[in-house]
Amino acid sequence: MGMDRREFIKSCSLVAVMGLLYGCRKSAVLGDIASQLSVPELKRFEDEVRLAMSQAKKTLDLVKVPTPCALKIPGASTLNRFGMAIDLDACDGCGKCILACNLENNVPLVPDEDAARGRFMHWVELRGNAPFMCAHCGNAPCERVCPTGAANHTPDGLSAMMYKRCTGSRFCGANCPVQARKFNFNDAQKLGLARQFNREVPLRDKGVMEKCSLCLHRLQNDRLAFKTKLSVAATPEDAEWRGRGVKTACAEACPHKAIVFGNWLDEKSPLVQQTKDRILYAPRELAALDPSVVFMRGSR
Amino acid sequence: MKWLALCFAVVFSFFLADFLMGEPRVPELAPGPIPFDHALHGDSIGLDCAACHTGSRASANAYMPSKADCMDCHRLPLSETADAEAQDSEFAKIDEHPWSHKRHLPDHVVFHHGVHAAAGVSCADCHGKGYMQNRYGAELFNMQSCLKCHRGETFKEKGFKPAATYCAACHR
Repeated sequence: MGMDRREFIKSCSLVAVMGLLYGCRKSAVLGDIASQLSVPELKRFEDEVRLAMSQAKKTLDLVKVPTPCALKIPGASTLNRFGMAIDLDACDGCGKCILACNLENNVPLVPDEDAARGRFMHWVELRGNAPFMCAHCGNAPCERVCPTGAANHTPDGLSAMMYKRCTGSRFCGANCPVQARKFNFNDAQKLGLARQFNREVPLRDKGVMEKCSLCLHRLQNDRLAFKTKLSVAATPEDAEWRGRGVKTACAEACPHKAIVFGNWLDEKSPLVQQTKDRILYAPRELAALDPSVVFMRGSR
Repeated sequence: MKWLALCFAVVFSFFLADFLMGEPRVPELAPGPIPFDHALHGDSIGLDCAACHTGSRASANAYMPSKADCMDCHRLPLSETADAEAQDSEFAKIDEHPWSHKRHLPDHVVFHHGVHAAAGVSCADCHGKGYMQNRYGAELFNMQSCLKCHRGETFKEKGFKPAATYCAACHR
């Protein structure tokens, strides 16, 4: 025994005090001081979008694809398959969709070194002067390889990302042929790079993948509101939820209405109506994977 | 021996700090400024939960009543007893929002009271009779209890419609 009783008690109490201070690191006083330093202003988000646009890839390799129809996965809905069509004839590459998406989904900023290398967290990017995001493939290569099932497909056609189930293997990101997925390498909240513009969407932790969610929160809210109303359906057709009237943030923000969101399986959806006589395209690498998000140009 | 003692002291102090200052898993219901008793305000006087928890039939959040909700009934003397006058002066003193309801569910979970009410789930099915003891039943809730009903394993006798079981139905 090298230590005498006095020293032992001194070291115990010192360690106890350190433990107590560690224990109250999130308490009212210490916590407040930390959080006041951390909320970035809107201008930084706008500047980052401009920077990303200036570094964007100039080419987008597209091939023709047929009009998406019902999903071929077990349990797929026969009524709803949500998707988007991006009109290349109308889009002028202004980038308003990117900012709208970032604000709607609380997408974090990235540190300067990453920004300089063109590594942003934006869910929508400009490629070939048009907005590019996850295509929500019917036969998604990312969902196939997720070890935890965090990347999965909903019956109504969304490639959903469950952040709390993600363990950060990044296998999905590696398997995506067009690098549509973004990984939270940083703890954005701790670094003061995240801001919760929209309370409907949670902030993501460090170590999870994120990507375009087709504004899942808007679809969920619409579906829940529909199911709550006393449904005295006018026609049997109105008895089921079809997601009519929902628009993604990017589609809403586009000044030229170049992004059309809708339901591929709903005759009345603007998506079906506006793609009827257009030629549809998808990136070469995704054409065989049954994408729900396509590009359109020209007329049939 | 010295190192063993030091290790013990470190581990002990972390446990002590967590015990004293760690957040409990479910925040306990604080007694609040008003001695409200559910037993007096429930079935005994024919009051439905939605009379005070105004969102419980059609909204996501069931809401805690505001002072205006209480005063809807209490602005009139409800009994002839001597207590009535004392009560009135007490009511004048309370805030507009006597109960603050911090959402207990994490951000990534979507729970909509209205959808469940519309499907025929009664308040007591989830909140139990515990609300009569002024506890909201949070210790009963976890994802497994939700899933069991959504899969049709519990509440079979109530014959609920099959509910969504895919992740994105309830998570963001």
